[in-house]
Order: sequence, then structure tokens, then C-alpha cells
Amino acid sequence: MEKEEVKQKIYALVEKSIGKKKLKSSDIQKAVSAEAGISRDEVKDALRELIDNGTLIYTYFGGSFVEIPPKE
Amino acid sequence: MAAPQRRTDIGPPHYKDFLPPVIQKNYGSWKYHEIINPGVMVHVADSGDKIWTVRVASPRLLSTDTIRDMADIAEKYCGGYIRFTTRNNAEFLVSDEKNIEPLQKELKQKGYLAGGIGPRISNIVHTQGWVHCHSAATDASGLVKAIMDDLADYFTTKELPNKVRLAVACCTNMCGAVHCSDIALVGIHRKVPRVDHGNIKNMCEVPSTIAACPTGAISPDPAKKSLKINDDKCMYCGNCYSVCPALPISDPVNDGVAIVVGGKVGSLRSFPKFSKLTVPYIPNNPPRWPEVTSVIKKILDTYIAGAKKHERVGEWVERIGWEKFFSLTGLPFTFQHIDDFTIARETFRTAATFKW
Amino acid sequence: MPKKYDTPLLDELEKGPFPSFVTEMKKAAAKTDMAADALGQLERCFRDKKTHWKHGGIVGVRGYGGGVIGRYSDIPEDFPNVAHFHTVRINSTSAFFYTSKFLKEMCDIWDKHGSGLTNLHGSTGDLVLLGTKTDQLEQIFAEFSSRGWDLGGSGSAMRTPSCCVGPARCEWANIDTLDINYSITQEFQDEMHRPAFPYKFKFKTVGCAVDCNASIARADCSIIGTWKGNIAIDQAEVANYEKKGMNISEEIVGMCPSKCMSYDGKQLKIDDANCVRCMHCIAKMTKALKPTGEKGATILIGSKAPFVIGATLSWVIVPFIKMEPPYDEFKDLIRKMWEWWDEHGKNRERIGELIIRRGMREFLEYIGVEPVPQQVKEPRRDPFYFWTEADLQK
Repeated sequence: MEKEEVKQKIYALVEKSIGKKKLKSSDIQKAVSAEAGISRDEVKDALRELIDNGTLIYTYFGGSFVEIPPKE
Repeated sequence: MAAPQRRTDIGPPHYKDFLPPVIQKNYGSWKYHEIINPGVMVHVADSGDKIWTVRVASPRLLSTDTIRDMADIAEKYCGGYIRFTTRNNAEFLVSDEKNIEPLQKELKQKGYLAGGIGPRISNIVHTQGWVHCHSAATDASGLVKAIMDDLADYFTTKELPNKVRLAVACCTNMCGAVHCSDIALVGIHRKVPRVDHGNIKNMCEVPSTIAACPTGAISPDPAKKSLKINDDKCMYCGNCYSVCPALPISDPVNDGVAIVVGGKVGSLRSFPKFSKLTVPYIPNNPPRWPEVTSVIKKILDTYIAGAKKHERVGEWVERIGWEKFFSLTGLPFTFQHIDDFTIARETFRTAATFKW
Repeated sequence: MPKKYDTPLLDELEKGPFPSFVTEMKKAAAKTDMAADALGQLERCFRDKKTHWKHGGIVGVRGYGGGVIGRYSDIPEDFPNVAHFHTVRINSTSAFFYTSKFLKEMCDIWDKHGSGLTNLHGSTGDLVLLGTKTDQLEQIFAEFSSRGWDLGGSGSAMRTPSCCVGPARCEWANIDTLDINYSITQEFQDEMHRPAFPYKFKFKTVGCAVDCNASIARADCSIIGTWKGNIAIDQAEVANYEKKGMNISEEIVGMCPSKCMSYDGKQLKIDDANCVRCMHCIAKMTKALKPTGEKGATILIGSKAPFVIGATLSWVIVPFIKMEPPYDEFKDLIRKMWEWWDEHGKNRERIGELIIRRGMREFLEYIGVEPVPQQVKEPRRDPFYFWTEADLQK
């Protein structure tokens, strides 16, 4: 699977969970690797790119989560 | 001016770049050390080389002015080498014996307090308190300052049966090593968190907030789209507030300090030990918490009078028995002293042998 | 000129012999607006007997999920310069050795971009820079990282590992604590900066059972140096200790926990096979006694502060492991532990709590460690235990 496609899947998953459940990095890795049939490292790599370019951010609320940045 | 180029995932620099030459040369080949006085020790290597350590207290919270001053002193006497201890002391590392006297003199003249080496009270491990923490039930730096002013002689000169390790944690999160210290303070709450129903939905995740409660006191409140707390089950630990800012627990009237005693981390002579509750609550009385410092002094004096050489506080108490500890110190024993949390039955006395 | 606040309560804490944190705050307050307002707000906390800080979770540097702790005043209208007052954690050096050159550079950066207040060090062992604004974070990170310094850990990640002074300046070190600490930190950079664990994970490495870094009480993974050979005795030095006033029968032999020593007034004897290596005799007679033979570490897992089930001390998982660079056997073991924790751990569940919840057997089987009596104080007291199909076939 192309990395861009993995990124889209990650973003869609995070977007879908807004207001329901905060996702940890490992939740995303487990869910997307299972859904797409790819390795966790591939998901991790795509996730890292999304975070490096600011599409997603880490947040902390008594635990570390991955979320879409708030609109200023 | 543009900022320099950032780099990620580089980790800290290599430690070898920060070791004085005499340490680099004798790394791993130290033979013994001797305590010259409460503020100075010397380590002797197999090669015969020596390094002297001059230890001074710091309040942990340091301004850049003071760090620069320490750096200047290190340049003058130590080739620029300095280290810090896990108990927030600064250590000047001297390779040339003739620098020790002038270094000690300059430190004294500038108001640095040398000491803490050997069977004494070292600096107090502590947390941020009101200086910088959102969950503090008491201040930490203020308590530390008040206690250490009281006990400064045990840092600079006087000897104890063994070292006595003090710690202060400003809430039950215990970012300090309170649960395994000889004498320690922990900030506690005594009332149930207030539920800010309007903000739960925006600020908190309900399942993780419920899971944060050790006693199962939190449940959903579907009608209000919020949470409710069972007052009879809550033990005021504040863990829910760590995950959910809409459950504030701090309370100026009811927050305060508990005193725990008898913990240690080393395995010398006896297993590492947890600290045990001796005073369940003393109200916050800033800026100097006189009620707290007087109880600590009383416990320390009783230990000094009763302990054998090399016994830590916990070893002394275990030898004489906790019932004796309470009678010797005169501290009242209350319902709060008897455990009703997760390991209660391990702490009940299962023998008819005890002291009157 | 920063604003000057009246601080009658805090002024009381400038009296007395011990160095005063208030004096430190005043020094910084004379230079930066942030420190001035931090001092003013602290006086308010002392007056109100409550904290005026709020937690907040969305600050950091690009790409990282840790190293910066968001902090905001709950009365920013009164203290606008601490409306943001975030902490930056810098990964300290092994055993906290520094040069004056670095410390001065750090101070220059911090006076320019922050409050000028620090902690040397935080409880976990980070070099803590106390108080800055969100818009300064990237510049601070660029200044430090371009000089070879990185951020420490926070959140659900590997936290900044720390160690005792070890072989750098201690005769009791059985392992190279500084190197192990450095090697772990470098190996697991991704695990430190991009939080993906159920919760925090701390390493503390100490050279012997004296445990000068509280490893057994404050680390998810405690690495404690030990040895397998005999304790070499220098009888002439033993005699010197006695000459200097030590009561060897009482202070050394009488306090040995395993009662494996004897002294007849001339010769000190140790029954090494029964020694538990507690360090008491060695620490008290450092010139006379020295461990010999194979050196390595005991790996213990699980200590933490009381949340949620009560405080725990670390317990033995691997009684003895050689610790020599590049420490591959140890690192592989840690990766297995993390895999299992990742698979089963709940949010905010430490690895020790997970072992207690699911049982040592499952954990040990997963990481490939055999059960041995050294892992427990005593065997179970109850008759309730699991048998697997494989057990039944044996």
C-alpha cells in the first residue's frame, strides 16, 4: 500500500474518533495495520510523517494521545 | 537573527565529554574513599590518583545567576568540572589538593552551605509544589526550606546513627521518593472532588476518568452527560483530577500534610522498605509550617536517642516495634493509621506478642 | 524593568541558614517579567493556601510528543506574564556531570527565551527549565539541539533514564552505570520522543545494592549491579578499622543479614556461599573488602508511586545478566517486555501493574525467562493456580 493511502487511513481513523475516544499512538498502529494488512512499522512511519508536518499532533491528558490540531 | 538548525533524536551528549581528566584516567578503577569532613570527601584510585569532592546544598530551584556563579567557581578551582547529585546538591570536583582550602573559603564567603556527606541529613528530594504544579496539595520548596533551616546542623556538622533521607511530595502522585524515605511529607486532600458538570463533556474522557479511580467511586451520570462521585468510597487521592481537569479537588481549608516514616531504598542489612503513616494530617500553615517542623524534629530526636549505630529510622522502628514508636514519640494513633486500602490484611498484627 | 511585587510571606523564607529558593526567584525576577510574575503568583498561593496553576496538554515542539509540559496560570489577569509558563525538560548527562562552558551557554539561552528559573534536577533526572511561552519553544529546541542537547521524556513514553555516579567516582560499581544509561537513552530515542506506550516507563541504573539513585523504588526497570564471586578481605585493613574504634563484632558481623560472617579478634571470615550481597560490610569497611569474580546486574521490574493500587518496589525478574556493550541481550529483553505491555496494557497502566493484573507466568513466558526462587520472597500460600494443557502432559 502506498504511504499516502496509509496516511489517509490514519487521518480518517483519528477524525472518526473525535468526541468518542482519544486514540493513543499504539491504538492507531494496531487498528490500521490490522485493517490494511500491513506491518505496524509501516503505520508508525506514516504516522510520524503526519506528525512531523503538523497534520496530527500529540496531546497529553493524563496519557499521551494523537489528535487533529485545534483550529486557532 | 534566524534560529540555528534544529536536530531531532540526538539524545544527550556523551558523558565522557563532561568527566574531569582524573576521572577519565581512573574510570572504573577507584580503590576507596574517605570522608574528610561533612562537606569534603576524597576518592583514591588504584593508580594512587585522587579526586576531592566538595559538596554544597542547593534549593534545587536555581536562577541562572547562581548557576553562572557555580560555573565560575568550578572554572577557578576545578577546571570547569561540576556535577549534581540526585538529592540536588552541587559537587565541585577538585583534582588539585591545594585548591580545596581556597575553594571551601570562597564557598563559605559566598554563603554556600557545605555538608551532607556521611551519616547526616542530606538535601531533601522534593517536588514543584505551588511554584509550578497544578495538583499540589501543599507547597514543597517552602516546607523544604523550613525543615532544612531547622535541621541545618545535621547537614553541616552533627552526626546521626546513619544517614536520614528526607523527602517532600506535594500530592499523592509522589513525584518525590516519599514512599521509601526515612522521614517524608506528602500533601493530601481530605474532601471529595467537585464535579464541574458544564466542563466534563469538553475536557474529560469519561471511561478513562472512571478507570482512574482506585476505589470505584466514579460512575457515569447520563442525565447530566457528566460523572458522579460516591462520597463514601472516595479516598481523595486526586488521580481523577490528573486525567480530568473538570474535577478540581484542591481545598485551602482541608488540604495539608501527612508524615510518613521508616522507608529506605538501599538493601544494606535489611530489605528496602516503604514509609509508613505516622501523622495523618497537619493543616497547611505557610510560610513556615511550624507544626510540621516540630513533629519532624521530635521524630528525629527520638531516633537519635534510641537507634543503634548504623540503624536507619525504619530499622530502629522495626526493632523496637511501631507500638513503641508511638509511645516514645507521643504521636497519637488514630483510625487513619490502620490500612483499609489494597494491602490492609498484610498490615494487621497476627500474633499476640507486642509491647505495652 | 520587571514589575516588583510585595512578598511578605515569601520573605520569611529568605531567613535561616539553608539556601533559599525565594532568593533564587528574586534574582530571576529582577531580570525577566516571567520570573517576576511567577514570584508574585507564588506569594498569592502562599496567601490563598492553594495552587494557582492549571494543566494543559497541547504544547510541544514539532514532531515530538514529549519534553515540554504545558502549564498555565489560573489568574492570568493578575499575572499576565505567566499566562503560559511551560516546563522544558532537557535530557541530562549520565550521572549529572557538567562543564562550566555548557552551564553558561544554557543560562544564556534560558535568560533569552525563558524565565531564568531552573531545577537541577527534576525528580526523574531531567535538567528542568521552568517557565516559558509557547512561541519560544521551537527556538529553545533549536538552540539546544544545534549544540548537541535533546529534550527529555514526558507523557506515555520512555522517560529520561538516570543512573548513579558509578565507575566515574565510586569503588563499589559492579557495572558501568553511565554507559548503560547513555546506551539505553540513545537506543530508544523514538520511544522517548514519540509516546506510544500505555503509560510512562522509567529506567534507573545503579552500580550496587546501596542504590544511590532509588532505582528499586522509582523505576519501572531497575538495573542493580551485583557480582557472583567472593568478597576479598584485606585483614590488615580490617585490623586498621578496629584500631580506629570500629566494633567489628557488633557493627559488621552482628549486622550482617545472612549471618555469614565471623570475627575472632584477628581474622574476619565470610561464608560467601551464604552472602546475599547487601553491601553493609563493604560500605562500612571499604578499604578492607572488595567483591571479586563475575560482575553483572540484577534486573527488577515494577516500582512506582502509590497510584493506582498502592506503591510498589521493583521485584526480581532476571537474577543475573552480564552488562557489556552494546547490551544487546538486555535491550532485546526490554523490547519483549514492551511488546507484551503494548499488547495488553490499558491507558495509564504501568508495566508492573499489568504484571500484577495478568500474572507473572504470562509475563515470564512471553519474555522467555524461567521461573526461579530468586524471583520471590516465598512461594504462594494458597492452593489456587493454573495448569495449562502443556503442563498436564509433562
